[in-house]
Amino acid sequence: MSGEEEENAAELKIGDEFLKAKCLMNCEVSLILEHKFEQLQQMSDDPRNQVSQVFEKSLQYVKRFSRYKNPDAVKQVREILSRYQLTEFELCVLGNLCPETVEEAIAMVPSIKAKGRVHDDEAIDKMLNDLALIKKFE
Amino acid sequence: MFFHIVLERNMQLHPRHFGRNLRENLVAKLMKDVEGTCSGQHGFVVAITGIENIGKGLIRDGTGFVSFPVKYQCVVFRPFKGEILEAVVTMVNKMGFFAEAGPVQIFVSNHLIPDDMEFQSGDMPNYTTSDGSVKIQKDSEVRLKIIGTRVDATEIFCIGTIKDDFLGVINDPASV
Repeated sequence: MSGEEEENAAELKIGDEFLKAKCLMNCEVSLILEHKFEQLQQMSDDPRNQVSQVFEKSLQYVKRFSRYKNPDAVKQVREILSRYQLTEFELCVLGNLCPETVEEAIAMVPSIKAKGRVHDDEAIDKMLNDLALIKKFE
Repeated sequence: MFFHIVLERNMQLHPRHFGRNLRENLVAKLMKDVEGTCSGQHGFVVAITGIENIGKGLIRDGTGFVSFPVKYQCVVFRPFKGEILEAVVTMVNKMGFFAEAGPVQIFVSNHLIPDDMEFQSGDMPNYTTSDGSVKIQKDSEVRLKIIGTRVDATEIFCIGTIKDDFLGVINDPASV
């Protein structure tokens, strides 16, 4: 891969393969991994022996950093963010970090203000408000 | 960042596994082989979530083993340079601190910690601002930016910074 050297998430240079791939927010990963863990639990008494260290660490991590616990809220977050012409990667960074102000959002995801994109501060502000609302009513 | 991607792998299977349960055997072996592994290109394979397609097997000359091309969906964790994420501090020393975000380790050197934070040694080594209002110690949650990655055969190691706007401690275990 020739692009490896200049990889930079702030400019969305993450390689074609990952740019097109489906990104997952921490809360979505949490739902997937917990489901899988439950399945393993039914098959054996001690699922901890079955799973890799990577799995266990990831599960702990996403449980700790999930902004939304309720599966419906998780779905709603994705739906609302997908109205704003974001790439998958930007969508998930916003969903994970839940910035509160426009400046914070731009600092977290500089590419939303990159040239050629349609976002003005007002649109970003509305998006953040929508996100905060879901959290409030979860 | 976590991704849901499709990967392909050639699985070699011993003839004793052929029969009614061939598919199950193949899938079980695939999970055992790839879950928990790490590659520089795709990152850490956290969990296999589904099988897309199992191709026609090919008999290997001389051994009797058959290799099947298997396409599978999986959740991977791949850190990127420039990405901002949250992590848990695991160790603090005078060189800086280590934090963990899922399977990946991130080191933040003391040059990349804001200048007003001083190292304090003791039972619970930590970095504290002069007025004591902000403290980084083991188990603190921090938001950091990845500025470099080093890819090993079996591990990815990251260098991070908290010296930028909107980065730093988000939750101090001592204050809750």
